[in-house]
Amino acid sequence: MKKKLAVGTFVFEQAETEASQSALYEKHIALTNKSHIASFAGYLMPLWYSSISDEHNAVRQAAGMFDCTHMGVLEVTGPQAEPFLNIISTNDVSKLEPGSAQYSYIIDAAGNVLDDIIVYRREKEKFMVVVNAANEPKIKAYIKGLLAGQVIIDADNPGLKLQYKPDVRDMRDTKSGKDCRVDIALQGPASVDVVLSLLKNQKDKDAIGNLKSFKFIETTIEGIDCIISRTGYTGAKVCFEFYVHPDKAGRIWDLILSSGKKFGVLPCGLGARDSLRIEAGLPLYGHELDGAFGISPFEAGYNWAVKLQKEFFIAKSAMQNRAQNYNTEVVRIEVAGEKGVRPVRQNDAIIGTGGTCIGWVLSCAKVADKQIALVYVDRDSIKEGVAIGVYYVARNSGQVQNGKKENVGKGERVNADITGKGLSRFARF
Amino acid sequence: MVVEGLYYTKEHEWVKIDGDMAIIGITDYAQEMLGEITYVEMPKLDKEVEAGDDLAVVESSKAASDVYAPVAGRVVEVNPELETRPELINEDCYDTGWLCRMETSKNAASGLMSSSEYEEFLKGL
Repeated sequence: MKKKLAVGTFVFEQAETEASQSALYEKHIALTNKSHIASFAGYLMPLWYSSISDEHNAVRQAAGMFDCTHMGVLEVTGPQAEPFLNIISTNDVSKLEPGSAQYSYIIDAAGNVLDDIIVYRREKEKFMVVVNAANEPKIKAYIKGLLAGQVIIDADNPGLKLQYKPDVRDMRDTKSGKDCRVDIALQGPASVDVVLSLLKNQKDKDAIGNLKSFKFIETTIEGIDCIISRTGYTGAKVCFEFYVHPDKAGRIWDLILSSGKKFGVLPCGLGARDSLRIEAGLPLYGHELDGAFGISPFEAGYNWAVKLQKEFFIAKSAMQNRAQNYNTEVVRIEVAGEKGVRPVRQNDAIIGTGGTCIGWVLSCAKVADKQIALVYVDRDSIKEGVAIGVYYVARNSGQVQNGKKENVGKGERVNADITGKGLSRFARF
Repeated sequence: MVVEGLYYTKEHEWVKIDGDMAIIGITDYAQEMLGEITYVEMPKLDKEVEAGDDLAVVESSKAASDVYAPVAGRVVEVNPELETRPELINEDCYDTGWLCRMETSKNAASGLMSSSEYEEFLKGL
């Protein structure tokens, strides 16, 4: 499905560039075989160190540490920072207290979701915005276009110009000096013990012990400036992210690893990052958000992060329309996944109780002896606990010759290869 | 790890040739790349293939990887253990993790790499 872009809306074509090393690359090659390192969103990142399942289990039972230094980190400052962010993002930035963060979206005036983001309010006039690594060049170009008045902000009023011009800088750019910040995540029930063991001062320890979800503190570890937030992308109830200077990221990584050893902390790669977020039901941009189907926050299950009652924000009219008119949604399902069961993959067909295709798989992961998939299906067609089927589409030409379809269309009647059931939209751990 | 005396392809299959019989598997490099293998689609018995044809599919949680026939011939036996224990490929890809046995023609090894040539090839990746 090709997306329609209204005339004058933001269009960005990303240049192909050679993958660069993340700030923690040296750590990765010391910890794992080079064949486990792959190019992801422009960075050479570890797929796994020990194994995806061991790392997944570490996060559920103890804690796991992730290199997230490839994530984009932008800073928005000045008296116009709040109104600017409130117009370019969908959640309500004005409700955010210093020391708090919120999940939100950047959506253009035509309604195309450009990214899902987390906005951290560090001070009244100082924000940190964390964007997906793969979307960082696009978001930077979009913001630049907005500040230069080159991007339409209201589809119904193309002449409308954005009046707020805060200071925006890239916090991973060395030009940001000592303020540079990159992300290292520590996720799982034991993560709080590890964070506490790294802090010297009782006030910080108390603050971490009492830190609520989507809150953060600013402190130092061994003199290294550090933002520690109760956020994450694994579904873990107890979860933290550290934002530190890239030159100090290696030191923080080593400290977490050494003090985390007795708590069972494992370094985790992209494989476990994906299986954990899928198990939890969290969307990945390009899969459960936007992507080939142009999935909206409403279809993804995040109505609450789009504040339609805000007086104005870019994409407001498009979102009002999408909120009322959608016939498809993201659902979490489970099928068998023990050894010897063929893995379910993206684009496999979902077969409803009527025996016909009701949608497709967006993402799937093996979790213990099950497979958990996020699927894109007709709205209200899959209920929790109700049986569904999955048809494996052909993986290669040999399977096509044996009669396997490469694609199954909505409504097409095919026999399911494997059965499973609907789950709740999200899981908490 | 590369085993001496076997022949190799650029697609990381290995072949052990004994007269007109060939035993086929995937290399240590391939299983390392795939990670935890959870499913193997075996070739059908008696299937006749040309060198380079689709032979099997090895799937891990992250990837589905086609295995191509390193030699031409007819499939005469498949490893029955892999149906329920695909992890044997991770554990011992050159021995208990073998994929299938093929009846092949003479000079089947022509065009394949020796162990030392494959080792050189891996260094260049």
